[in-house]
Amino acid sequence: MEFDWSEGDASHREEVRAFLSEELPDDWEEISKDGPGGDRQAAFSKHFCGRMAERGWLTQHWPSEYGGRDATSWRHAIVGEEMWAIGEPRGAQYMNVNWIGPAIMQYGTEEQKAFHLPRISAGGVLWCQGFSEPEAGSDLVALRTQALRVGDEYVINGSKIWTSYCNHAEFIILLVRTDPQSTRHRGISVLLVAMDTPGIEIREIPSVVGERYFHEVFFTDVHVPTSALLGDENQGWGVVSYALQYERAGAARYARAAVTLDRLAEIARERGLLDDPMVVDRLGEARALCEAARVLSYKVIDLRAKGSPPTADTQLARVLGTTCDTAIGTLALELMGPEALEYGSFADANFRLAMTAGVAVGATEVQLNLIASRFLGLPKE
Amino acid sequence: MDFDLNDDQRAILEAVEALLEQHAGAARAIELQPKGEYDASLDAALADAGFSDVGRDPDMGGLEATLVVEAVARAGGVVAIGAEAMVAPMLRDEPLPTPIALATAGHGGAVRYAASARSLLVLGDREARWVALEPGDCAPVRSNFGYPMGRVSAEGTTRGDGLGVGSAARLHTAWQLAIAAEAVGCMEAALAQTVGYLKERRQFGRAIGSFQAVQHRLAECAIHVEGSRWLVREAAYQRAPTEGVATAAAFALSAAGRIFSEMHQLSGAIGFTREHDLHVWSMRLQALRLELGGVAAHRRAIVAARWGGVGS
Repeated sequence: MEFDWSEGDASHREEVRAFLSEELPDDWEEISKDGPGGDRQAAFSKHFCGRMAERGWLTQHWPSEYGGRDATSWRHAIVGEEMWAIGEPRGAQYMNVNWIGPAIMQYGTEEQKAFHLPRISAGGVLWCQGFSEPEAGSDLVALRTQALRVGDEYVINGSKIWTSYCNHAEFIILLVRTDPQSTRHRGISVLLVAMDTPGIEIREIPSVVGERYFHEVFFTDVHVPTSALLGDENQGWGVVSYALQYERAGAARYARAAVTLDRLAEIARERGLLDDPMVVDRLGEARALCEAARVLSYKVIDLRAKGSPPTADTQLARVLGTTCDTAIGTLALELMGPEALEYGSFADANFRLAMTAGVAVGATEVQLNLIASRFLGLPKE
Repeated sequence: MDFDLNDDQRAILEAVEALLEQHAGAARAIELQPKGEYDASLDAALADAGFSDVGRDPDMGGLEATLVVEAVARAGGVVAIGAEAMVAPMLRDEPLPTPIALATAGHGGAVRYAASARSLLVLGDREARWVALEPGDCAPVRSNFGYPMGRVSAEGTTRGDGLGVGSAARLHTAWQLAIAAEAVGCMEAALAQTVGYLKERRQFGRAIGSFQAVQHRLAECAIHVEGSRWLVREAAYQRAPTEGVATAAAFALSAAGRIFSEMHQLSGAIGFTREHDLHVWSMRLQALRLELGGVAAHRRAIVAARWGGVGS
């Protein structure tokens, strides 16, 4: 057991921080106040990810044959922490580099790899994910969007919902049912679809989280070539399980929460609130939560770095990361008082990002079910 | 970063668990409870095998000592292993006469293991002191909280040798981490015991552990136990930094409160009985939560260490 950073990893973190302070504009906080899906942040992410790509950092954890540098999971995790902590200047592209790219490497044809991977690796392309549907949320395998094979094309009909970033995205990684007789896990396929294909329409769903956060995406007789299929037909659940094992550990929410908390403590001290034992107690409690979420996330990264198969440790880390993010988002409101009510204020921006934590990428209740069965071995009904 | 035990650590853990299998366990703890007895034979077995001193080994250290303390706590061992393996080595190069009890100057109340202790480490404002206890210094105190307890006479906490500049801070930090490590072992055992019981216990025609309402609560508990375990081990590996130790203690002792309530609630009436093992670990968690000012003090210590500006 060892709990320290190698010299190389520690200096990489310093490099990343120096790069961020150079690259982020003075009005970064204003740009990022709507979150990664906001118009300005999406536009900025293309410039920013391009700069990261120039340094070779954007996809450094990818194998060198796909434009990576074979960097360890720890290096990539350090980048993830630093990016998320400062408001994710990679915008939606964290999805590309974390799991859409790796899924294409694992399941893609030579043609798909040659087309998509260099684009993702260069940092200029935005993707969104078409998973959830009105009748398929936590229960994703209830999805009904159909892609029927007609000659050398698929014809897609149906709709996706809660989709983030799709108004800016060039591509969508889309879960569809290719066997109309199938139910549940069987008969699902994954398609890589250009968002400018005729028949795709987007409607923004206004939300209290921020602008451009949620959308509905409608598919009406959308024709795509069969070469859009990722992996084997009707075997898409395997592809998505592989992809989600990367996503479920999720963003380094604890890192952002910790930065927010440092700033809150600073404000509390300036305002003389550290004389209040209740404030001190809440700050200490929140800090301990951040640290516990961090160390559980590191356990997952350790497994990944060693190439071990995913375990329920992922769910443990994810739930605690969510708890920590939510707790600090709420604490920010309480400490800042009525000034938190102004849109775009420090506490408001953090609260809005934190409030989706327990729902995004699979509700906490689903994670708890998995912990109960896989980690504790509790019986089903 | 590496979360796997290395070969030495695995060997230590396997060996101490084998010893505990023979000399400790819930049944042994329950057997000793009526008279508030100290398990002198377990203490001797741990010392003879070198486990009490693993924290002094130049090739090992605080993390290995923590693994031993966690394991002894899981086995419900009635020995002052936290003080011996994790605290004493931070204060003196030479071993102290054992058992060792830990007390805060000027604080009355029951002290774990004091009635059987031969050494007392006293946390003062400026300095820590070592007191060689004599008969009559400590009287046994009846307690329901899982450990043999004693009360130290006022004279007992003011005698003894000062341990030098910085010793108070070292004692405080080492004690805080030892409490947290012991809590981790107790929580792990209490959770495992309860999960096992709820897989077997049937009501309404099914195992209680199959109800989702129950599963979610157990899953939340598991998350808090695991978070505690890794914070404690990380702090031990990093040679017990003030902030890291306070963080581990704050998280673990807060988790301990949750584990106590949830395990008893989910176990039902049998959980309160001495015929069921849960109390061996659960009652101890409450005792650990009261030491060194409890969760509020650990949290205050985090804030003081990280952001300053508060009296700790």
